[in-house]
Amino acid sequence: MRNRVREQRTQREMSQAELAASLGVSRQTVISIESGRYLPSLPLAFAIARFFGLTVDKMFDPDEEEAGT
Amino acid sequence: MMAFIRPRLRKPLGIALAGTVFAAAWALRGGHAWWLSVAIEVTVLVGAITFYVRAGDDNDEGALAGSRADERQKLLSLRSRALGWNFTMVAAFIGVTAGTALKASWSWPCLVILALGGFAYLLGLSTYGIAEEEPADDTGPRHPAGSPAG
Repeated sequence: MRNRVREQRTQREMSQAELAASLGVSRQTVISIESGRYLPSLPLAFAIARFFGLTVDKMFDPDEEEAGT
Repeated sequence: MMAFIRPRLRKPLGIALAGTVFAAAWALRGGHAWWLSVAIEVTVLVGAITFYVRAGDDNDEGALAGSRADERQKLLSLRSRALGWNFTMVAAFIGVTAGTALKASWSWPCLVILALGGFAYLLGLSTYGIAEEEPADDTGPRHPAGSPAG
């Protein structure tokens, strides 16, 4: 599953630590989500999408494979 | 009660408490090796302090040790505990089987571990919902086969 977390975060010039603090998760979890190693729970996926002002299906695309995985 | 204790202190305090109880049990046991209870207590306290220091690290282990894990870290911990349970069950089964073959009397603790593990697993299934399954919501009149449009 591909996601746009890294793309959205870099567009807003945020660090992974800042995003993690905003979402109430650890920096390591943001890194894992961005790299596609961890699929967030539904509440966290909604929180991420809401944070970036997108819908969940815009944020996470199940039809696309994560690059490099 | 745990809410009154700072998250970073919870697990180190738990380790210190458990270790102190064991050291006290060793001291109560008496005998010529009673002094080992002091060594146990010192080791446990050093371990608890080390755990407290590691709980401040900015990594997954630190988050788990400091009781501030997020959902992914809790999942990591859960999977690790499940792996530990699997290993324990396999080891207990091997112990029971070998003890039975050798007619050994030492295998009963393995049987107790196996029984407790199995009971805890069934308790988990019951507690987390398997026993509360509701009937499937497909008992209404069946639609005729074919295209919904047709």
